Amino acid sequence: MRQKNRNSASFISTARRAWPDGCALTACCLWSGVTEAQRSASQSALQPASTQAQGIELLWWIMLWSGVVIFLAVMALLIWALWSGRQRESPLSLTASKNLVLTAGVAIPALTLVILVGGSLFLGRSVASAPPPDAMQVRITGWMWWWEIEYLDSAGNITATTANEMHVPVGRPVAVELASGDVIHSFWVPQLQGKTDMVPGKVNSSWFVATEAGEYRGQCAEFCGLQHALMAFVVVARPEAEFDAWLAHQAEPAAAPVTAATQQGRDVFEQSCGHCHRVRGTDATGNIGPDLTHIASRRTLAAATLVNNRGHLAGWIGDPQRIKPGNAMPRSLLTPQELHNLLTYLETLE
Amino acid sequence: MKTQAIYDQNPEATDLLSRTWRSPPGFFGWFTHVNQSRIGYRFIVTSVIFFALAGVLALVMRLQLISPENTLLGADFYNQLFTMHGTTMMFFFAVPAMEGLGIYLVPLMIGTRDMSFPRLNAFGYYVYLIAGISLYVALFMGMAPAAGWFSYVPLANIAFSPGKGMDLWTTMITFIEISALAAAVELIVTILKQRAPGMTLNRMPLFVWSILVMSFMILFAMPTVMAGSVLLALDRAFDMQFFVAAGGGDALLWQHLFWFFGHPEVYIIMVPALGIVSTVITTFTQKPVFGYTALVLSLVATGFVSFGLWVHHMFTTGLPHLGLSFFTAASAMIAIPSGIQIFCWIASLWGARIRFATPMLFVLGFFAIFVIGGLTGVMVASIPFDSQVHDSYFVVAHFHYVLIGGAVFPFFAGLYYWYPKMTGRLMSERLGRWSFALIFAGTNLTFFPMHQLGLQGMPRRVYTYLSDMGWGELNFAITIAAFILAIGFLLTLINAVVSRTRGVAAGNNPWQAETLEWATTSPPQNYNFRHLPIVHSRTPLWDEPDSSHRQVVAGLRADRRELLITTLLEAKPQSVLIMPHPSVWPFLLALAVGFGFLGFMFQPLLFVAGFALSFFMIVGWLWPRKPWLDTGET
Amino acid sequence: MCPAETTRLNFAVDATHFSRFHSGSDAPIWWGIIGLILIEMSVVAAFVISYFYLVMINPSWPPIGHPASELLWPTASVVILLMSCVTMYLASKAINRDRITAFVTHTSISVVLACAVLVIRWQQFQTFDFRWDEHVYGSLVWTISGFHFLHVVSAAIGTAVVATLGALKFFNSKQRIAIVVDTMYWNFVGLAWIPFYLVLYIVPRLT
Repeated sequence: MRQKNRNSASFISTARRAWPDGCALTACCLWSGVTEAQRSASQSALQPASTQAQGIELLWWIMLWSGVVIFLAVMALLIWALWSGRQRESPLSLTASKNLVLTAGVAIPALTLVILVGGSLFLGRSVASAPPPDAMQVRITGWMWWWEIEYLDSAGNITATTANEMHVPVGRPVAVELASGDVIHSFWVPQLQGKTDMVPGKVNSSWFVATEAGEYRGQCAEFCGLQHALMAFVVVARPEAEFDAWLAHQAEPAAAPVTAATQQGRDVFEQSCGHCHRVRGTDATGNIGPDLTHIASRRTLAAATLVNNRGHLAGWIGDPQRIKPGNAMPRSLLTPQELHNLLTYLETLE
Repeated sequence: MKTQAIYDQNPEATDLLSRTWRSPPGFFGWFTHVNQSRIGYRFIVTSVIFFALAGVLALVMRLQLISPENTLLGADFYNQLFTMHGTTMMFFFAVPAMEGLGIYLVPLMIGTRDMSFPRLNAFGYYVYLIAGISLYVALFMGMAPAAGWFSYVPLANIAFSPGKGMDLWTTMITFIEISALAAAVELIVTILKQRAPGMTLNRMPLFVWSILVMSFMILFAMPTVMAGSVLLALDRAFDMQFFVAAGGGDALLWQHLFWFFGHPEVYIIMVPALGIVSTVITTFTQKPVFGYTALVLSLVATGFVSFGLWVHHMFTTGLPHLGLSFFTAASAMIAIPSGIQIFCWIASLWGARIRFATPMLFVLGFFAIFVIGGLTGVMVASIPFDSQVHDSYFVVAHFHYVLIGGAVFPFFAGLYYWYPKMTGRLMSERLGRWSFALIFAGTNLTFFPMHQLGLQGMPRRVYTYLSDMGWGELNFAITIAAFILAIGFLLTLINAVVSRTRGVAAGNNPWQAETLEWATTSPPQNYNFRHLPIVHSRTPLWDEPDSSHRQVVAGLRADRRELLITTLLEAKPQSVLIMPHPSVWPFLLALAVGFGFLGFMFQPLLFVAGFALSFFMIVGWLWPRKPWLDTGET
Repeated sequence: MCPAETTRLNFAVDATHFSRFHSGSDAPIWWGIIGLILIEMSVVAAFVISYFYLVMINPSWPPIGHPASELLWPTASVVILLMSCVTMYLASKAINRDRITAFVTHTSISVVLACAVLVIRWQQFQTFDFRWDEHVYGSLVWTISGFHFLHVVSAAIGTAVVATLGALKFFNSKQRIAIVVDTMYWNFVGLAWIPFYLVLYIVPRLT
């Protein structure tokens, strides 16, 4: 049994919905509920925070209202048709029938489609266009079931590596290179950009410009096996200066342990965790699991499944298979003292 | 005079005719039946059972999603459930159900005694049954496939799905396609060569047209997924590299092969449903549907265009945008034949004295639900919008609207409509109306909120979601609604079972319909028609309400299975075909082929054994009968 | 049905003297075989298109270190298969004229020719210098070869049965639909080798 009392991350805790509980089932309620929803961090495509997602949202509202008009018109015609025969039989003449089919069944749909397809292609061209040359380059690799995030400099060298948490500067284009290490995943941050698949043997790309500072949740959108449901991540958009400081910090190796406990914790990490995980600046150089050089600076654990705090970290290290069955991390066999030291050490990896 | 007695125009030949076309009784006899009405009925009943099973799976999934972080089901079992739900609904319900209606009704509607290849028909049924049972046995053993009904590689490949479940999926998909292809071929041949004299192509009932279009679509769509699943099986069994990037293969090749079949598949299911809609509207307005030619051409156009849409399932795979744009345009284009059909039907309904019986109610429900599904379909054809909602609950909502609206509602309309023909009794109107109301309400309550969940970012195929996502309330409501929907379906099921013995006797033509299936008894005898009919218009029964004045065919022998072959376009009488007797060979062949396919999962050499075994079964099946040599007298 | 009613029946078509024999497009089985061939052609098309798709996405084709195969024996297979189509045609001609011996001779020659092709193909399998699990090129060559091999086996066995039944006098100029459809299928199997020959042996020389 997974633990039920797990607190979720702060970036989603504010995302309470505005519609009435459980009964928002009529069309009106539903769609107005969407507009009234608080503009808070969430995973909703209807609370866009980038130029790309805003464009798509606008397209949605246009299509929704055209759709509503068309639906009501067809239903009105249908009801009229059914009603007109109630008293006595009064069929349409052949010409009237032909005109009805040619106008409502051919001409109007054709015209609407030309407009919709044209608009969609126009928008699509800009959404799918190549990123501007000054865009920041980030390479994201999907793994079962977490995200490896590497920041690249202009020459394509990796400057910093992190996992499941991506920071981006507000107002600057971010180009993401999308790859996969195992099966197909899909990169999706609804508030920032539509999804793009991560296909093994292929490098896809996407880009966006975050227009507002904030935290945005992303989730894998292509079924990728057992824990597809718990493969999420968080994007933190912040002012450029803050972002630059963050990136510079992430690029540094881990702080050297100073106390005896943290030194022992590092030794435990190197022996027990270092085959799979890397902490730059130590002998732990594994590359099977996420890079943990700055794990204490991250908001979540286990691909945005748990809030990152000491208790959750202890629970995760103790039995990752209980929280996310099937993931690649085995149960650890540490003594309580070792675990204690390890946690203390990890907490210093700001 | 003795020779005269064996011809069917002789009033005394009725008994002889019954004996000749008899299906052997008893348990062992069951495995030898070949009459189309028996096989068609089995297809329908079996597919409804699979529909119910897949529905139960859906309910279990809804129970898991009723609240965030629910622990009712484990991830693996949930993944098996949605894989099986999709696979069952598409391969084991929708296609066989439509084929079943076609097999049962087409020979009756075109006025012949049986399908062209009755034994192939039976073989197709056993293959279907074996495939379905194997998958469900695997599910109950907890080793069903769990990579989705689309089985994307590399997830479905041996490296990431090492269990036998995926092997079963690849072999059983190949297997069920054999059944679909067999039915398609013989439906085509039956429709082209066995129509009643005078039933030219443009006098064919619209339902028959829709079955013809469906069959041609099966013919060109299904081989691709067969080829694809064979390649996947080879990848899995022999480490071949078709879909392995490291070996020069490509994961997207699978998606192309799968969706080149998968998109037409949707229309394979919908096209016959559209034929049912036309049929029901004609009968319940008591006048010919407006725009026969336009409706036929729309069906054909839908069939053609549906082969040019497959890439819209791959909008997010990173293919070049310019190429994808073509598929946006093509996907939107398919709205036009749909529009033509919708408005032809509205024109037909206009001002008519409509009888609002249950089949008609389901057709009206079809209008509302199908139009919504069509509109969201146009939306997801837009590449940027699709990039947001693809693989989210919005798409789940969209295709359930399309498939429930476009296929299940018409199928249920068809069940209520043809049930009296198949059983001789009418289904309860009262229960039918309740069932319709619950299904209509349940469908909207279940699937409409999913649009919103998708826009709020809920991905498909997740076994759980965190409580702070704010998706809990809607999911709770959806689960409750799903049970309303299920009760609606259950009422029809109960109705069908109870009316079998307690329903009001239907008579030959309870709805005063115009097509030939209503000219014979309900249920029809194995020989379908005592005398084969002749037609002069699209509405033979309305032209000559008095059955004794209708023109019929004489000169078919009653002592062996004979039926009339007519020309392809004009349906002019051409020759007489002698049909095979009941036989156990089709069943044995299905067993042999099943042995080969299932054996392949464990030991590739068993496939060769199955192949060899099948050869003997085929020879047994096709062995020319000696008496057949003596028939040269005419 | 009471006799009084049936006496008034309006018999507008009398099928008593219609032919009970079919030898061409008037027979459902003829259309059935056309359907089977269309299905198989779709499978062949799926393989060939997949082949070109994989050629397109791979930088070198065939993969480096695997030169394109030599042409002599594959070309011989094409010629022999085409010859067997001719002998099948002659067999059909023979049965049209009720010449049973000629029929059996020609079908037997066809089966022998098919077996010759099978022997040649089997020899070719031995000389493939790559395995099916090395690279997708190998997977394609082995799969397509195997697919066609199985079809030639089926056609040969089927025709051997037809030849045997012919020898047992099951067929004559009126009752020959089995031969007609067997020939149709035979021609398909023979001709299907041409696209496969092109992709397996010619395309690797061009890329």
